[in-house]
Amino acid sequence: MPKISIMPSNPAKLRVIWLQGITCNGNTHSFLNDPSLGTLLDSIELLHHPLLPCAKTLKELVKKLPKSDILIFEGAYSPSFERAGMAMESLLMTLALKTKHIISMGSCASFGGIFKENDPEHISGIVFDKENDSGPLRDMRKKVITLSGCPAHPKWLSFVIEMIKANKPILVDEYRRPRELYAYLVHNGCLRNEYFEWKVDSDHFGTKEGCLFYAQGCQGPFTHGSCNKILWNEVSSKTRSGTPCVGCTEPTFPKRDLFTTKTYMSIPSEMPLGIPKRSYLALAGAAKSFHIKRLEERLIDDHT
Amino acid sequence: MITHELIERIEGEAVLDFQTDKSGVVQDAAIRFLHFRGMEAILEGRNALDALVIAPRVCGICGHSHLIAAARMIENAYIDAGFSLTISPKAHAIREITLSCELIQNHIKWLYLVMLHESGKLLAEEPPVALKALYVTSQINQLCALFSGQWPHSSYAIPGGVTCDPTHIEVMQALKILSEVERFVEDEVLGCHAEVFRNHIRDDSLLSLGGDFGKLLRNFERLRLLDTGKSHGRFLVLGESGGSITNSVQSTADIALVSEDCSHTFAEGGVTYAKNALYNGEFYEGGPLARALVSKRDGISTLYQRHGDTALTRITARIEEMVTLIAHVRSLVSSLDLSQPSFIPPSSIESISGEGIGIVEAPRGSLIHRARIERGKIVEYSIITPTQWNLGNGTASNLGIAQKAMIGAESIAKASLIFRTFDVCSVCTTH
Repeated sequence: MPKISIMPSNPAKLRVIWLQGITCNGNTHSFLNDPSLGTLLDSIELLHHPLLPCAKTLKELVKKLPKSDILIFEGAYSPSFERAGMAMESLLMTLALKTKHIISMGSCASFGGIFKENDPEHISGIVFDKENDSGPLRDMRKKVITLSGCPAHPKWLSFVIEMIKANKPILVDEYRRPRELYAYLVHNGCLRNEYFEWKVDSDHFGTKEGCLFYAQGCQGPFTHGSCNKILWNEVSSKTRSGTPCVGCTEPTFPKRDLFTTKTYMSIPSEMPLGIPKRSYLALAGAAKSFHIKRLEERLIDDHT
Repeated sequence: MITHELIERIEGEAVLDFQTDKSGVVQDAAIRFLHFRGMEAILEGRNALDALVIAPRVCGICGHSHLIAAARMIENAYIDAGFSLTISPKAHAIREITLSCELIQNHIKWLYLVMLHESGKLLAEEPPVALKALYVTSQINQLCALFSGQWPHSSYAIPGGVTCDPTHIEVMQALKILSEVERFVEDEVLGCHAEVFRNHIRDDSLLSLGGDFGKLLRNFERLRLLDTGKSHGRFLVLGESGGSITNSVQSTADIALVSEDCSHTFAEGGVTYAKNALYNGEFYEGGPLARALVSKRDGISTLYQRHGDTALTRITARIEEMVTLIAHVRSLVSSLDLSQPSFIPPSSIESISGEGIGIVEAPRGSLIHRARIERGKIVEYSIITPTQWNLGNGTASNLGIAQKAMIGAESIAKASLIFRTFDVCSVCTTH
């Protein structure tokens, strides 16, 4: 007999499985940082999670692979990689067929990420292999939401779960990333925007002043992500702590020489997204011809 | 009888091969790690500074330790190449703050997600709510991010200092978070004031403690595990003040005596990806207990004299380290001199050819990053992780640390719980 609920509007909880491929567990720990984790967990039923209390251990999970509403996959894919003795080729594929929604959590699951570098031939993301849609779940892509990032932000994940729960359609880009999260560039909301506008370089690391795009390798102007809108750990971001954006949400991650800007004739060789080089040069030339005293001074003179 | 036991709810997964006698008592235990990513190979050929982005991805829970180890390694290579490199006391303190935050959140997660959960399960009890603990770990990680930009996977420590340039706004926020963390630890973890907790260690009356730590100890007592888990009683700390070992007598450690043994790995026809880490050819235990003994923190030293390296001592050392680190972070944050530079630019990385070594006391013990750099490029990279010290596979005459601790356990389930007192991380072990 089904239990009669006193709350008649109480909807069935979404059944969620969190499965890991080749991973560092970074997305698992990023997820645990969500300060409203409790509210989120109250609204779902965790069939399996590597660290949180859940209905089934991994060993129990692989014995009889259950149906679910959401499958969250963390880590890169390789057909022969095993969990509890079961190869991903059948484990991921079966769980994917038995679920309604799949969330590709982090850049390894999304594009192959860092770990792909050691075995590029066999390691990929679940739908995409770098930019190519040749991953094992490419034919199921319609039910996949990509949350690239190394790691992905916990609030990006809870946003997608809430949207699924509310039965609302999620607008996605070419890599199936939610447009509302990834239409922004990491550059948007960066506290150094004014230095970018007036082409004021950061002399060196460890200061509040200057833009990191000209010499320190910042990829913020051409990396999709809302890092400077939905802040990390509620308080900061790479660029807010003076670290260049390393482009971790893009299929090209990780590029090389991450702390240096590649230049051509002393102009950054990669342009801000969608900006023609000629437009950039015209504007940069004009901006640089001014010397704006306020932007050349320290923001706050003395801490003492 | 031989049983293969899959160990979950650790970082990654491990397989333990137990040999038991008729009554189920563990006679032998082999530890296997079956996942491997090849982090060292991924680092090789890259610009040395890229290690500040790649290395943290060795591990989701202690990636910050890997960042600091990589930064120290590159700094050491500058010195080796004959260049000078200076770190301001402020940058040094900020690194220590963020690194300590990583240890604190690790120890809390271990207590709630792993130890209370698994010991409760063995007693057929409902595991306690971990959510209150996860809220606090999210706060500690927030404290870290005030300086490092984010946790996990920050790259804010660079040769010459740190990228951030904090103001008093960050300092005051950090102190406020610390107060919350202190309150949680006293109200929920210890059930008493930190000083009262220290008195209980000295008086050997820990079992009378309330709080979730007391509950864990009582779980262990009910399972008759408190006095089990003894290993070799050899300890090693390489990451602090030049390094020390203690084996009844304490002496200075010599990094040249550290070696890796691959004889059990797949590459040599063995059964695991994990290499053993050895000091002078022997297994040494690293981690909170080793650090407390080497730095002669009086409470844990007294407890060790009474009980040896038992589960009681090992568990208490991790909790005591957390309490000590919280006070340490408070004093570091309170005394930050913000007028000092965050970063003192060294020569360009392309001018560096040399060898570097960076050692960090990570949550589970001594972490070593070593590399050979040629004109700023990584030619060779080698990582020895803390769990390689504690979770190595030895032979009957030369057992690994956790192996020895598990042998003699009354059952496989109990041996597995003893295994977890070492805070197991498979992603680090094989990397």
